[in-house]
Amino acid sequence: MSSAAKFKNNVKVSERHGAGEWLIERVLLVALLPLGLWAASTGFTLAGAGYDAVLAWFANPLNAGLLAITVVVFFGYVSLAWKVILEDYVPNAGTRGLLVILLNIVFLVLAAASVFFIVRLALGSAPLPAGFGA
Amino acid sequence: MTQPSPTPGGASSDRTGRFVTQPNGHIAPLSPHMSIWRWHVTMTASILFRATIIAATVGAVFVIGWLGAMAFGAEHYACFASLAGSPLGLFIGFGLTVVLFSFILNGARHTYNDTGNGLTVKSATLLSNIAVWAPVPLAVLFWVVLFAVGRVSL
Repeated sequence: MSSAAKFKNNVKVSERHGAGEWLIERVLLVALLPLGLWAASTGFTLAGAGYDAVLAWFANPLNAGLLAITVVVFFGYVSLAWKVILEDYVPNAGTRGLLVILLNIVFLVLAAASVFFIVRLALGSAPLPAGFGA
Repeated sequence: MTQPSPTPGGASSDRTGRFVTQPNGHIAPLSPHMSIWRWHVTMTASILFRATIIAATVGAVFVIGWLGAMAFGAEHYACFASLAGSPLGLFIGFGLTVVLFSFILNGARHTYNDTGNGLTVKSATLLSNIAVWAPVPLAVLFWVVLFAVGRVSL
């Protein structure tokens, strides 16, 4: 079925897929550490802020860009992390696969909605419900 | 795949009576589980990270609620702000900061351990203790300063 196990630095190399996902999860987590610190400082800055102050914060492209990056990286990480959790605790393969797909859809929708809101706020679009550029 | 035999044997030096023939043919102790091991803080840090990820996912929904309220205009934002400023809202806000600090510290511990570092008993215990306990005083400090500056009030 599978050939002899391969080794790299005396560590067994994964025989099938999976190692790539593990590495992506680690890379995303490393990215989230500084972004998390930035999120904490942002939370401190915006706590109790009024509508106009928050809108002014979004007008800065650096803020809006970092927030969009944070959201996308976060949901990418969380999608892989939830998959690992489900793999450990849901024994039935069918149920597990279904839950992974459902959660990925939910995370995709949440990330897309976040980016949509952030882009509108960054561009100073009129409050929803309104068309783009209105 | 053959199941490991639960009957002890094979290893002449087996003083535990827990050695079994593993699926790969090796004779090794059956992997111990939580009921066997004395509870250690590294186990708390490990399981807490999963709980933190789940809590952070829920927290992200609150943040998206804030984004949506902003995108839907000043009236919706005022509604969100009054909810967030209520005692329950502040309590949830405090929880979110605990989760955020826990995510950062425990994530840093996880990443450091993944590189193969900090895995001696002493440093693993220290890193786990920091990851488990430090988020709470950090979050308290965060909110004490927020209240002291007058940015937030009850």
